[in-house]
Amino acid sequence: MFIALGCIVITIIVYYLSKKVYRKLKFALLSPLLVAPCILSSMLVGFHISYSDYDSGGRWLSNLLQPAVVGFAVPLYKYRAVLKKYLRIIIISMTTGVMVALISSGIFSHIVHLQNNYLLSLLPRSITTPIAMAVSFNIGGMPTMTAIFVIVTGISGLIIGPAIIRYLHIKEKLARGLLLGMGAHGAGTSKALEFGSEEGAAASLAMVLAAIFTLVFAPILTPIILL
Amino acid sequence: MKKVVLTAIQVVILYVFALIGNFIVYCLHLPISGSIVGLFIVLFLLHFNILKLSKIEQGASFLMSEMLLFFIPSAVAIIQYKDQILRHGSQFLIVIILSTITVMISTGLVAQFYIKKHASKKGEI
Repeated sequence: MFIALGCIVITIIVYYLSKKVYRKLKFALLSPLLVAPCILSSMLVGFHISYSDYDSGGRWLSNLLQPAVVGFAVPLYKYRAVLKKYLRIIIISMTTGVMVALISSGIFSHIVHLQNNYLLSLLPRSITTPIAMAVSFNIGGMPTMTAIFVIVTGISGLIIGPAIIRYLHIKEKLARGLLLGMGAHGAGTSKALEFGSEEGAAASLAMVLAAIFTLVFAPILTPIILL
Repeated sequence: MKKVVLTAIQVVILYVFALIGNFIVYCLHLPISGSIVGLFIVLFLLHFNILKLSKIEQGASFLMSEMLLFFIPSAVAIIQYKDQILRHGSQFLIVIILSTITVMISTGLVAQFYIKKHASKKGEI
């Protein structure tokens, strides 16, 4: 109980400090999602605390992801008129995104000679964790490895997303939101909210659609990817 | 202080919807997650004016703006997989980074292309 509470408090403190540093320096590689886990992991190793002890507290924070996902109903509702207007474009972009996510994960895994069990765990990595784990299980991957790949995707997306938006001159708010929500699930969506609330709404929708489309497409595309 | 209490209450309300979603998923054996079902329930209630936006807006915006915090414990979990990561870490990283770049570029460009096409069509009329 004491350890659990301590872990929650320390995680929050480390998060706030890393967020402050990030806000000041605005350097993408200093994202709190990269810095804070590094600091916390070294603390666990340094103080000989096992991960399961840490997670007895950490899981309370992870659990808050659930109401946070429910909370995405707010931007979706507020911008429903815009989203409805562009629904066709959104569906086309997301279908493209989901297919490219599955196929490119497969192709790159083949290129670096990863075994099939890792390849299958990598396929659903660009969607929100619980659904990614379910998809991974369905297609014969390892759900826990998938959970890690989802997190690493989130961190990568936070850093890569804004760079892509800049280099490719993606000016449309809708396109910015979709690419962040599609490429990096919830983490990307939180980045989209930094751009603005319309981008955030687009990203929330992208995150939800990516998850649903992946559920549908993953079992169909997996046999082709494994060829 | 009042704001903190209000936010906390709204977070609890959102949590309850997530739990209802989990329950529905459990009962119906749905393949999606409870929180996404919860999101659709909230959208439905907002749409039919059964739930007022003001009852959840503050809690939702707090959760969304601090969302990275909730990912941190799962990111710390990576140290549990030291062996796999030492053996295959660079391969994983190459796949994830290259694939994320590919996905973001294709999604962004497709969306941008169709939005512009949509806008120019409107212009002609």
